[in-house]
Amino acid sequence: MNLSLRKIVLASLLTLGAYPVAAHHATTMFDHAKVVTINGVVKEVHWTNPHVGIYVDVASKDGGEAALWVIEMTSPGNLVRAGGWTRNAVKPGDKVVIDMAPLRDGKKGGALKKVTIADSGKVLTADIRAQERANLEQEAPAK
Amino acid sequence: MRNVRREVMALLGISLLPGVSMAQGIPGTPGTKPAAKPVINPPPTAKDWADIAKLPDWSGVWTHVRSDQDRQMKTNPPPWNEKAAKVIEWQYAEERAGRPPPLFQNCLPEAMPAWMLVTHNAMEFAFYPGRVLMLGESDSARLRRIYTDGRGHTDDPDPTFHGESIGKWDGENLQVDTIAMHPQNYIAISEAQGIPNGGDMHIKERMYLAKPDVWADEMTITAPKVLTKPWVTTRIYYRQRLRRLDIVEGTCLEGYFKPAADKDGYPTWEKVSHDPYGNRTPPK
Repeated sequence: MNLSLRKIVLASLLTLGAYPVAAHHATTMFDHAKVVTINGVVKEVHWTNPHVGIYVDVASKDGGEAALWVIEMTSPGNLVRAGGWTRNAVKPGDKVVIDMAPLRDGKKGGALKKVTIADSGKVLTADIRAQERANLEQEAPAK
Repeated sequence: MRNVRREVMALLGISLLPGVSMAQGIPGTPGTKPAAKPVINPPPTAKDWADIAKLPDWSGVWTHVRSDQDRQMKTNPPPWNEKAAKVIEWQYAEERAGRPPPLFQNCLPEAMPAWMLVTHNAMEFAFYPGRVLMLGESDSARLRRIYTDGRGHTDDPDPTFHGESIGKWDGENLQVDTIAMHPQNYIAISEAQGIPNGGDMHIKERMYLAKPDVWADEMTITAPKVLTKPWVTTRIYYRQRLRRLDIVEGTCLEGYFKPAADKDGYPTWEKVSHDPYGNRTPPK
């Protein structure tokens, strides 16, 4: 293996509602029926509209080549509303575990489903449907 | 005395005003067609501002309801004509194959009516005497001006991304009539399914609070080049008052660059490569 893929699992149809959604394009270039997990170190975070991007260095494993992955998300505003995100929530140097829907063409990219920051254990998702109700201010603060 | 001198000079064909020839006539001279009184936007009065306070409370940040957008793709599709329906069918097939047609990849505004139909971003309203402003997050230049000062449509307005919107308050409802939209503007049901309206599109909207914290836009879209009959659809938005969720700047092209330094060490923007679908190109 030239990357630290830990698992590839088929998700049930029930998970379809949890697509991370970009602001300006549909996302079926990503295979939402799969989850690819990588372990790596954040190289760059592009906290920009219309899509936030995270570049992650994945070290070689079992003699394979190291690789740089790029993970796409929705917009900064939508991530903040999804809960827990700020522009520094994930930053260069962070060790992370990322679950993503991989690109169908096999390139080293995906749409974020979940990122876990190793040092703090903090978990962030990118589901904009998390904001689909009024009066979010009346709920418990995002953790 | 001054008037006598002016009349004498006028009779001699001498203009008192630079650039005004006798062919145009002297204002006030008998036989000269009086110039139309210019239309101005008068400064708001205290009453104008007080009247604003009587309007429905649309304050706060309004977030879209993506699941409702998705649901309407199946439950309330536009009445496409035969040609458009075939394109939509092809677009669905492409999306199923993992090649979603990129309708909004060039960072031009999503435009009317697409941005009301399929937006994935928040917006807010600003009431001002004589107009209602809709300010969006992301989606490039997402701004609509709806004039509520009693004016009608202008003669032959220039086509624009958001069109010319004339509004009228009808109790708790804002009735809006929009014309003059670019023929390229999509009637979109998702970010991968949509057809350019082709021209002559006319949109009527009724904007209102369906519930205290649910804003609704009932749209009737007439587009004779691509629809067989007017399409009626209602899009809803949820109100948020949490300051943490305030609208943020959303310049679409920003995502095509990243911070860098120029040859002198000054901060600049460096282009980031993207694939045809709008994603950053994965490193090789």
